[in-house]
Amino acid sequence: MSQKRPENFLYTQEHEWAHIQNDDIAVIGITDFAQESLGEIVFVELPELGRHLNKDEAFGVVESIKSVSDLYAPVSGEVIAINEELTQSPETLNAQPFESWLVKIKMSNKDEKNSLLSADRYQKICEQ
Amino acid sequence: MNPSLKTTALHAEHTELKAKMAAFAGYSMPMSYQSLKEEVLTVRKSAGVFDVSHMGLIRVSGEQALEFLDYLLPNWVSQLPDQKALYSPLCNHQGQVLDDLIVYRLSAQELFICVNAANKENDFQWMQEVLAAKKFQCQMEHFFADYSLLALQGPESFAMINKIDAHLKIDDLDYYSFQKKEFMEKNCYFARTGYTGEDGFEIFIPNSLASNFWKKLVELGARPCGLAARDTLRIEVGFPLYGQEIHQDNTPLEAGLQWTVKWQKEDFIGKQALLEQEPSMKQIRLSLDKGIPRQGYAVYQNNEKIGVVTSGTFSPHLEKGIALAQIRKDINLDENNFSIELRGKFIAAQRHPKAFIQGGHK
Repeated sequence: MSQKRPENFLYTQEHEWAHIQNDDIAVIGITDFAQESLGEIVFVELPELGRHLNKDEAFGVVESIKSVSDLYAPVSGEVIAINEELTQSPETLNAQPFESWLVKIKMSNKDEKNSLLSADRYQKICEQ
Repeated sequence: MNPSLKTTALHAEHTELKAKMAAFAGYSMPMSYQSLKEEVLTVRKSAGVFDVSHMGLIRVSGEQALEFLDYLLPNWVSQLPDQKALYSPLCNHQGQVLDDLIVYRLSAQELFICVNAANKENDFQWMQEVLAAKKFQCQMEHFFADYSLLALQGPESFAMINKIDAHLKIDDLDYYSFQKKEFMEKNCYFARTGYTGEDGFEIFIPNSLASNFWKKLVELGARPCGLAARDTLRIEVGFPLYGQEIHQDNTPLEAGLQWTVKWQKEDFIGKQALLEQEPSMKQIRLSLDKGIPRQGYAVYQNNEKIGVVTSGTFSPHLEKGIALAQIRKDINLDENNFSIELRGKFIAAQRHPKAFIQGGHK
């Protein structure tokens, strides 16, 4: 089920990915490692459209049968899109973690992407 | 793996099956194998096998074994026929619950007790203290290091267990019954009990036979299931868990275990305290249409906080969040209007007068 990690995505220690598009739109999801550790995901809670998030702020949750995992904003900015389909079919986060985006954030500080991890560095964290 | 953790006799099987292991009561235990959801569904429709060898088996034997257990426990062991099993809390003199357990009565002079992993050493010590203080004519020994416990659970358990070996017939064992059988020249104990609400068996076997027995059950089609599935299954049928619904800060009367307290008995540990105490809490079952309740979430009625979720999970059968909750005793259940607070939001909750799922046992 697990997919290869896209080289052009950035990653966080919280096992999320951010794909920066058009310079300042961050598309956010959870990684293969995250979905594998959680097990079957049965519930997703996403933020309201238009909400401003600060970097590292908890903005939602993904839950499996037995566990709850908070989602943290990898970057600051405004939520400009949420993936409503996930609330209906949360299991796609297991099947296709890198295609199942959670939210899109209009970044308020483009420099914050420098604090995110490359695929290589993220791999080292997963191996620890 | 943390080297201070103990392992069960089936550790190699769990590793081979790539189980997700976690620390539980000092043991490295399988939480799930491939799919927790499938494990839960399989136990309700066919059969699953669980390694619960972390739990403890204690033997009480001797002339006054029944007198001792009748004094030790709120439930009535001397009323139990031979070869039957009985659930009971274990209390201290204050009526607080130290553990919950199952007593298996082989005969009036030989009984076995299965206790929770986290409490087994303390339980054994407490029982020894009681025995020494009251000088009953009986002995106790435990099999914590020598015996494994496998739980085979699900509607196909009966057919499956009778296919294990031509020399092992388990066809005369009713629900909540217990028998000693010799298998491979060793004493094994079979109980038709479990913690899932389904038909099934709990099998106490010497460690040396555990791997062989497990493999045979898996070959016969029993799906290996972990402790996460076991917990979800027991919440679905509303069974309490020590440490959550039942704990040292409540009494059997507050934990929904009134039925296990036999006031007619002349004396038992905690009787006086329980008689004098007014229970302040009671147990209810709630479900949510949206979101999943978890242990510790607050429960409200008409916007007033009335209690707390003691166990919560997503139910793969109902496909929604379910909870066991402890609320104030004076709450009028017929008023309904329950809600559970999930991350600052109040989500309407439905009360279930009966268990979420009626298991298929018997």
